[in-house]
Amino acid sequence: MRRVAIIGTGQTDYASNRSDASQPELVREAAKAAIADAGLRPQQIDAMLISNMELFEGRALPELWLGEAAFAAGKPCLKVATGGTSGTSACIAGFHQVASGLFDVVLVVGLEKHSEGQTQTGMALTDPFWDRAVAAGALGNFALSISQYMAARGVTERQAAMVAVKARRNAARNPHAHLKMPALTVDEVLGSRPLAHPVRLLDMCPQSDGACAIVIAAEEPARRLCPRPAWIKASATRHEQPYIGDIDRRLVTMRTLRDAARNAYARAGIRDPLHDFDVAEIYEPVSYAELAWYEALGFCGDGEAGRLIEDGVTTMDGELPVNPSGGVLSSNPVGASGVIRVAEAALQIHGRGGERQVDGVRTALATGYGVYAWADVVVLGAQP
Amino acid sequence: MNEAILVPIEMAVTWRYASGAAMERFCSGLMERRIEALRCGVCRRSYLPPRPICGNCHAPLSEWVSVADEGRLEAWTVLQVPMLDARTGDMREAPYGMGLIQLDGADTTINHYLAESDPARLSIGLRVRAVWRPEPRGAMDDIVHFEVLR
Repeated sequence: MRRVAIIGTGQTDYASNRSDASQPELVREAAKAAIADAGLRPQQIDAMLISNMELFEGRALPELWLGEAAFAAGKPCLKVATGGTSGTSACIAGFHQVASGLFDVVLVVGLEKHSEGQTQTGMALTDPFWDRAVAAGALGNFALSISQYMAARGVTERQAAMVAVKARRNAARNPHAHLKMPALTVDEVLGSRPLAHPVRLLDMCPQSDGACAIVIAAEEPARRLCPRPAWIKASATRHEQPYIGDIDRRLVTMRTLRDAARNAYARAGIRDPLHDFDVAEIYEPVSYAELAWYEALGFCGDGEAGRLIEDGVTTMDGELPVNPSGGVLSSNPVGASGVIRVAEAALQIHGRGGERQVDGVRTALATGYGVYAWADVVVLGAQP
Repeated sequence: MNEAILVPIEMAVTWRYASGAAMERFCSGLMERRIEALRCGVCRRSYLPPRPICGNCHAPLSEWVSVADEGRLEAWTVLQVPMLDARTGDMREAPYGMGLIQLDGADTTINHYLAESDPARLSIGLRVRAVWRPEPRGAMDDIVHFEVLR
């Protein structure tokens, strides 16, 4: 396989309502920014990949309505869909397209515009024979998993609240972020409105409008165009069985994420994730999930995630800053959220992170989480 | 800043889905308040919902096993905000309890409503029993909710 790198990123600002722009206009904004960041013109892109949750906005064929805005007319263009992982999966599909020699330069764009849709309705349109009779949506399903995770690992509501605080404070340094809360406190999180025991309003991700794009290139154009390409060291995706009840104590076990991480780490030469990574952008739709991912990703042993957040290991000045961007907890246009994780990890290697830049990033991790049934892991490096 | 233009679309539409043989037998059982799972001959896992193939072993499933309408609460939450009821399209008023329940005889859990909605009275490991609709119709919501056995 050929060497592959990310050479450009582009993001819109994320907000609860971007009524100033249509869906294609948001896509165009992110695509244009990423292509310009890569030092290219739209004509020089070989193919486009699109990520979006079509039922959230209630219209068919988003790849049709959005492709032209991604400069895809006359080019190969397709949509990738794997739930919340759609964005990371689209990036990984793009890596494969370039690595295989099929294309030299590929654009990936993710979009969601929750303000124009009915997200709960979209989430509820699952298996008509089984899940629909008792659908609780993402919120209820997370809360169920969290009860098992807390029982198994002994994490506390306060430790989860510390994750929520870290995310929103980091977001204050990210000009694109939706929820910027530089002065948020643990007590404010614990005092926020209960949604589904033990999850409170400030434990959950928002619903955001916005788009994010990256430009992926083969070695020759990457070296020619980008002073510090973010090379793809390894990527892995895993799928699960279809029903919530199929999976043993989901956040506790996380077979998908653990397997994907083990596979990608082996190929990228990652032996001690906490020390080997300089920064991580992980897909944490709820505060408790970030703690579970610390364990599944090998940042600590099982049962040690609470200590990791208490000791500040994952804050901006800790040993491994996790989600300098503010993460999904601060900005969540779902179809774009996975692309944002990869873009933010690449941005850290490009050294273009602005106020959220971590010093001297050479190895970065990005992950995706889709329902409970997909996990994606991407390892990026400053050297191929 | 442009004003958002509302495109009002309301549709009354109906979909029909084929159940497949395994789900058809399961739903027929519900009409007689009977719950049956399909067991994998290789890994011995009993699946609810029943399906024709074991996802882990890829072995065809043909061994039906009886499952009790009682079991153990493996996970729980209490929803404190109204959520969409996907069967009716109406909002389900909060608070209401939900659980993952491992029915006696099954190896997977089912997600369902709980009669209890006080977090102080719920914990993992409680025994729960199905409360059935008076006249079952052959669907998962023939079970109204699960009550805690104390």
